[in-house]
Amino acid sequence: MIASIPSATLLGVRGRSVSVEVHVDGGLPAFNVVGLPDAACRESRDRVRAAVLSSGLTWTLHRVTVNLAPTGVRKGGAALDLPIAIGVLVASEQLPASAVEGCGFIGELGLDGSLRPVPGVVSLVDALSTRAVVVPAPSAGEAALLGRHVVRVARTLRELVGSLKGLAPWPEPRPPATSPDAGSSPYPDLADVRGQPLGRWALEVAAAGGHHLLLVGPPGSGKTMLAQRLPGLLPPLSPEQALDVARIHSAAGRGTAGGLPTRAPFRAPHHGASSVSLVGGGSGTLRPGEISLAHQGVLLLDEMAEFPAAVLDALRQPLEEGVVRVARARASVTFPARFLLVGAMNPCPCGEGSVPGRCRCSPAARDRYARRLSGPLLDRFDLRVAVERPGVRSLLGGEPGEPTPAVARRVAQARAVAAERGTACNGELPARRLDEVAPLSVGASRLLERRLRAGALSARGLDRVRRVARTLADLDGSFGKLEEEHVCSALELRSGLSGMAAS
Amino acid sequence: MSGAAVTGASGAAVTGATVAGATVAGATVAGATVGQLPQAAYAVALSGLPLLGWARLAALLDGREPEAAWRAVLAGQGARGATVEAVCKRGPGGQKVGEAWRQAAGRVDVAALWSAHASLGIGVHLKGEPGYPAALLGDAQAPAVLFSLGRIGVLDAPRVSIVGTRRCTHYGREVAAELGHDLAEAGVAVVSGLAYGIDGAAHHGACASGGGPSDRGCPSAGGAPIGIVASGLDVIYPPRHAKLWQAVGEKGVLLSEAPLGTRPDGWRFPTRNRVIAVLGQALVVVESHAGGGSMHTVEAAAARSRPVPAVPGSVHSPASVGTNQLLADGCHPVRDADDVLVALGLEGQPPSRGRQGPRARAGDESGPDAVVLRAVGWEPTALDVILGRTGQRLGEVAVALDRLVERGLVRAGGGWWERVKAPRRRARAGPGLSAGEIDIL
Repeated sequence: MIASIPSATLLGVRGRSVSVEVHVDGGLPAFNVVGLPDAACRESRDRVRAAVLSSGLTWTLHRVTVNLAPTGVRKGGAALDLPIAIGVLVASEQLPASAVEGCGFIGELGLDGSLRPVPGVVSLVDALSTRAVVVPAPSAGEAALLGRHVVRVARTLRELVGSLKGLAPWPEPRPPATSPDAGSSPYPDLADVRGQPLGRWALEVAAAGGHHLLLVGPPGSGKTMLAQRLPGLLPPLSPEQALDVARIHSAAGRGTAGGLPTRAPFRAPHHGASSVSLVGGGSGTLRPGEISLAHQGVLLLDEMAEFPAAVLDALRQPLEEGVVRVARARASVTFPARFLLVGAMNPCPCGEGSVPGRCRCSPAARDRYARRLSGPLLDRFDLRVAVERPGVRSLLGGEPGEPTPAVARRVAQARAVAAERGTACNGELPARRLDEVAPLSVGASRLLERRLRAGALSARGLDRVRRVARTLADLDGSFGKLEEEHVCSALELRSGLSGMAAS
Repeated sequence: MSGAAVTGASGAAVTGATVAGATVAGATVAGATVGQLPQAAYAVALSGLPLLGWARLAALLDGREPEAAWRAVLAGQGARGATVEAVCKRGPGGQKVGEAWRQAAGRVDVAALWSAHASLGIGVHLKGEPGYPAALLGDAQAPAVLFSLGRIGVLDAPRVSIVGTRRCTHYGREVAAELGHDLAEAGVAVVSGLAYGIDGAAHHGACASGGGPSDRGCPSAGGAPIGIVASGLDVIYPPRHAKLWQAVGEKGVLLSEAPLGTRPDGWRFPTRNRVIAVLGQALVVVESHAGGGSMHTVEAAAARSRPVPAVPGSVHSPASVGTNQLLADGCHPVRDADDVLVALGLEGQPPSRGRQGPRARAGDESGPDAVVLRAVGWEPTALDVILGRTGQRLGEVAVALDRLVERGLVRAGGGWWERVKAPRRRARAGPGLSAGEIDIL
């Protein structure tokens, strides 16, 4: 007897449909799994057999062959445990084929027959074209995100067989809880930041234009505090963006039980991070890295100069393309990675070097420190802002700054203007559209010409300045030509690095 | 020019080196036997020994010819004798220095070392011999052996040492360069250590002046730079100052207590500072952090009753803490080169002679960007602070700052700004030094 059960396997963050074919027939008792299973998948045999037996069902005394079609694709993980078990039960005639018709199965089995959640349920379910899908109970929320399937849950294999046979009602999936972050933002409020007019302004510009931001300043100047408030300024995720984000976080094993995320994600890996953990990959299953988890959100690299140079340089390609392509001998996957990069670093090893005369470092040590960020990477930062320790007066007596919602409103307006031009944000404006989108007034072009002649600005730097100036003008509500004021401010906002200015 | 100076005419040949009355002609590496070498050659070899500062070298040479001292070192008897033992009791090596010297001396080829100095035209001056600079002679801690590259005669001019921190502000750098330039113009030889920061800026200014022997054709004319270095005269340190090093050697003179090839070990710098303090008839401190290295030079100068005028700085600037303390302790303030000349007693002009100060022209304070200009201090000011002081929007401030930079009233660094003096008439670029190099001095 033969059975074919629809299921799916994970490839990067994408699901791929797999048909689990089970053949049970005469011959010596045996149990083989073919069709490119990886180690975890091969171990299914032992889990499935134990789970079937401990669920009070019988294990057939015939030869069992499981084929995972299409056979050319490598299958990983334990998500295929459940479909294999169901396939064996159908093929050994313990379950009628009609009971499982039109239903896909995803889940890992425990030896006691319990169903366990697996990573990437959102993408796995997405790959299934069946009407109904059975997932472990904790994954019900993720499976329901797409809204295309009838989601059925089960806690154990025994319970599932009963429900499939119609002997017991299907357990109710927990009603999808409203997202915990739907109402209020999970991110700290900008009103907590005292003083720092330049830093605040830089955050607003970064959020409005999607410009990567580098904050340079002595310890205690509030770089991290500022950076943590950036995701709160970004607009809420659109449904498509939210689904993308959910897909990635689900594939990374970070379930999104609370329904679709609404806020931009925020990731801040420690500077001990390896390059695989940052860009994604891994030796077994290819998992998304921190930059993909920050997709549509903010990636903060605190103490950026402490990251190994090779790790930082691995960011260059994703920064340019918005995706990261991880290639291994057997598989090559593409992870989405469109994130807003915020770097924070000290100006020099002693930390006090933003203003001359205060620093205790030798010129050679300063040079070495500055070189830790390669020129090409530094070039990706449209905004390089020097922040200083706030004065005593602004810390103690100063009025609280503008709160996040007020700034976020201006950001949303500026983004809406950019969207009308056909780009998500100004940071992604292609160079060929600059003349059309960001024309220069006479004064502005004279000013830029002067800087270019003085060698203080390169051709590439010019494009970046124009993009930032466009954002500044959008925030100002002036939608025509770029004025001198906008260009000048844009130049100031990238001047925060004395020794490192690779304009 | 001087008795013991070695003028390398061609390669290794040494011609006419008169040392202690003995004429050594044609002493070449190949043909040289130990007996034919001048006494200065042994002094050179001695000064290259390890664990040897100026005090130990002076003790080694006390009361005997360099050759005799060298033979004693070779025999392991270097540290014998009351004077040497007294000096060696303290400090690194202790009683074992005699053995260390013997081992090191065994590896030295005196003739080759001597001819190396000859071929580079290095002057070797022994204390007490003719040709030793009179400016150093009277000092108790004068170097027993002095190496020179350039015109040793410029030491006869009035001399002023300019020192300060390596981690200086733009203000300090600018003042040091001005002082160096104006003093050189006035015929004063500027003495400094060729380090980063103030030292380099002072010499850069001095090199940029029109004075100096090469222009006037008179070797004894003042205004030439005098560089005192801690390494051998062929070991350029810091490497970035290679051009300045060369310029000082060409216009004036470079002095060292160490033979060729000596690394710039850390302990040599304080030792070098003592020579700077001795040579300058006044010691001008431009900027110094609290407890900075310049303060050691100040102590050495004060111990010799040299005037130590200091340049006042902002009370907020960490780089001026040391100098402001000197002023509080009663040192004379230095506003420009005239103040220094008065301190030297060179200029009879009374101090109250209607200066051109304060340095900004009155008109600058009332221009269209006056608010922003006033918000930018005379010390480096972060853009954040300027925004806070003016209360204006970034766009307005940025445009105003850009105009001020264009007018030369404000200077921009990475994320900070400071006011500068209104542009001066004369060109400030020195020989062979580009604007970029001025920045790193």
